[in-house]
Amino acid sequence: MKKRRSLLLLSGIFFAAAIVAFFTSKVQGVEEVGNDSPLMRADVITIDALKGFGDLEQPPVVFLHDLHTDAVEKQNKDCSACHLSEENRQSPKFKRLKNTSRQQVMDIYHVDCMQCHREVQKAGEKAGPVEKCGQCHQGKPKAISDRELIVFDKSLHFRHTEATKDTCETCHHRYDEVTKKLFYAKGKEGSCVYCHKQQTEENRISKRLASHLSCIKCHRETLAKKKTTPQAKDQKAGPIKCSGCHASEQLQLIKKIKDVPRMKRNQPDVVLIQAVQIDANKKGAPATILMNAVPFDHKSHEKYNDTCRVCHHADLNTCSSCHSVAGKKEGNFVRSEQAMHQLNSERSCLGCHGSRQSKPSCAGCHASIPLESKQQTSYCVQCHAKPPQRSTANPKPEQLARMMLKSRTAMTDTYRDKDIPETVTIKDLSDQYEPVYFPHRRIIRRLVTETKNDKLAQYFHSQKGTICQACHHNSPATKKPPRCYSCHGKPFNETEILRPGMKGAYHQQCFGCHQQMGIKKPDSLNCIECHREQKK
Amino acid sequence: MSISRRKFLGWLTAAGLSSSAFGKVAHAATTRHFEGHPDSLGVLYDNTKCIGCRTCEAACNKVNDLPPPDRPFDDLSVLDNKRRTDPKKYMVINKYDGSVNVETPLFGRTGCNHCLEPACASSCFVRAYTKTESGAVTYDSSVCVGCRYCMLACPFNIPTFEYDAALTPRIRKCTMCYDTRLVKGELPGCVEACPTESFTFGKRIDLLRIARERIRRYPGRYLDHIYGQNEMGGTSWLYLSGVPFKQIGMREDLGITPAPQFTSSALAAVPMVVGTWPLLLMGIYAVSKRKDKIAKEEKEQALAEVTAQVKAEADQKVSEAWKKAAQEKEKAIEAAVKQALEAAADVETEENS
Repeated sequence: MKKRRSLLLLSGIFFAAAIVAFFTSKVQGVEEVGNDSPLMRADVITIDALKGFGDLEQPPVVFLHDLHTDAVEKQNKDCSACHLSEENRQSPKFKRLKNTSRQQVMDIYHVDCMQCHREVQKAGEKAGPVEKCGQCHQGKPKAISDRELIVFDKSLHFRHTEATKDTCETCHHRYDEVTKKLFYAKGKEGSCVYCHKQQTEENRISKRLASHLSCIKCHRETLAKKKTTPQAKDQKAGPIKCSGCHASEQLQLIKKIKDVPRMKRNQPDVVLIQAVQIDANKKGAPATILMNAVPFDHKSHEKYNDTCRVCHHADLNTCSSCHSVAGKKEGNFVRSEQAMHQLNSERSCLGCHGSRQSKPSCAGCHASIPLESKQQTSYCVQCHAKPPQRSTANPKPEQLARMMLKSRTAMTDTYRDKDIPETVTIKDLSDQYEPVYFPHRRIIRRLVTETKNDKLAQYFHSQKGTICQACHHNSPATKKPPRCYSCHGKPFNETEILRPGMKGAYHQQCFGCHQQMGIKKPDSLNCIECHREQKK
Repeated sequence: MSISRRKFLGWLTAAGLSSSAFGKVAHAATTRHFEGHPDSLGVLYDNTKCIGCRTCEAACNKVNDLPPPDRPFDDLSVLDNKRRTDPKKYMVINKYDGSVNVETPLFGRTGCNHCLEPACASSCFVRAYTKTESGAVTYDSSVCVGCRYCMLACPFNIPTFEYDAALTPRIRKCTMCYDTRLVKGELPGCVEACPTESFTFGKRIDLLRIARERIRRYPGRYLDHIYGQNEMGGTSWLYLSGVPFKQIGMREDLGITPAPQFTSSALAAVPMVVGTWPLLLMGIYAVSKRKDKIAKEEKEQALAEVTAQVKAEADQKVSEAWKKAAQEKEKAIEAAVKQALEAAADVETEENS
């Protein structure tokens, strides 16, 4: 009797311990890592085709496409083993052209998948699941997609124009509303996403579908040609597997052409951006041109950007076709002022120029200069410059823009060495440290070197003293700018609450700039690298 | 007659219930938004400027005459562990991992926030804490009884106790250098020492303005939130950060209700309970006592009456009996006399015959 009781007690203790262990492990989020950690793959496709017919009864199936492409290839079959064709176009769906009914779609997967798996199994090779539902319908999928989207940049575009021998119609087309057919219009080519949006709309398939149908089709044909015709043996063919365009390591391998020749689409070299106001009440009245026009170097800006889409976000027409002074419906009522000046936008002039300031060579100074949409007049006239004295009576806008751009000068230097103090002795904190010998001239020379190859900086740093203004801020550019202590003194002055004291100003300026530029020496945490220890 | 235990407990429950009902009214009467003493001072800590040099900790140690630390202040490996305030350090700077887009480590300051309506002060029943008009929350060890309620009350876990002082343990916490420096017109130690002006000292109202201006000028650098503006009803120390405050070890679950307001409804009832209820209970006791007394008197009176009546009746009966007896006696005497007279007459007749 006594023995049985102790056994009961022991089992009770074990049971309690097991419960405690179970719950605590859950609370602490302890999860077994190792075999269970999901696979990161670029070819993950989630099969949930039945979603369109109502709620799913089983978890969706995670399908690894590349794994199956390889398996099919091994059996000397091609894509048609799984994908049916219609009108010379392969359906992206599995073994069907359309989602007909719930039962039919379900049967297609269950019958055709299993059949193939069984055949492979019979052949004695490693095959997919054939028995249990849960082997395909996994609640917790074993693979997670880390698919990246390929950017069809100008280098890739150039390689395609080379390969297709400038037959733009291979890819570019337009849609004729009347004949309901695609046709090619020379000189009207644009980016795919101008028409093919995120979702399939009436008459236009989604960007995803369009790119998979067209790109893979062409790549497959090229591959086939390579095999059959000896002349095309050395021709390159694009990827047809998921990983080719979507795995980050494969994307790194895509060859980049350094100096891509300009695209041939009759784009202008220079543009004169004018604020034109048309009086709607007076028909035929000449348009009023407001303020100074901005000469825009279109050719150079093509070089700075990877795609046309960076600026031409909706189509390849002029900015003014959608954005006017007062705003138009076509441009979603975004006024031209906003389109050109909006901060935090890659499309606008100011937005893109502002984002360039975040690279280390610029951020040292610019991170502490707040970017504000409202600017001083002196800043406005750098773009909205006064037109030069006209040599001809009425120059064409493009001619004027060319003239204005030519008259621009780049500021590549600052004052001469003899005008720049070599060192500045800072005697603050003399109760703790020896004075600091600040290498003033060396720092300025470094800043000049940093901006040496930066056309943007050289144009906007328009005066010799502009670069000095990074530290000697809030004062006009001059050879002899005010000293730090002209404005900074004791901290927390009630009349100037936003102004840091001398110590704060020095350290914020030095540390801030060094941090932004990635300068590790001197270490901001080791005082004596700047402040030498006091001699006793 | 004495009060039964059951009765006493019943009263107590009734008192509790009604005081909590009244308490609601008392609470409503005290719900006013206190925005701090006018022109009160504070400190704004800007974590985007902090480089984690621990100069502030060293200065705090020096100006407050605290014992030397276990490891020197220039040993920055101390930052590898998360620390909290203790009797030897009134403030600590902790290092936190930078988020994905911020590669450099982040820093956070832990120390007394000098709440506008401090929980420590409201929990202290000897009034050892004072929210001074300058903004600092000060502590008077001379009245402290060492109950450590303040340590439990503080939502920021700041006050610490000198457990190793056997005889005169005190609560230790940041004083905003009130009595040591502020009154002399000097800056708090940490503020003065910071090389980058991560700490800005000034009127709280100005600090809020500075913080808002920094957020406006550098929207990408700061989170659009000033910690301490409303947290726990507002604190004199304010914080700016580039990352969510949770990431630099600060509580985001505190809400904006000042701590005293949580207890004010219950505490507001205390004077009423203490002042009124004894009187009321005594009154009830007196009334019931009086009732008992009257009942007793009435009973006695009734008893006396009954006794008197019974006595009277008995007396009457006795007297009647006596009367009867006397009458009977008289009658008997009369009868006897009559008999005797008749006998005598008979004798006379016999003698005559």
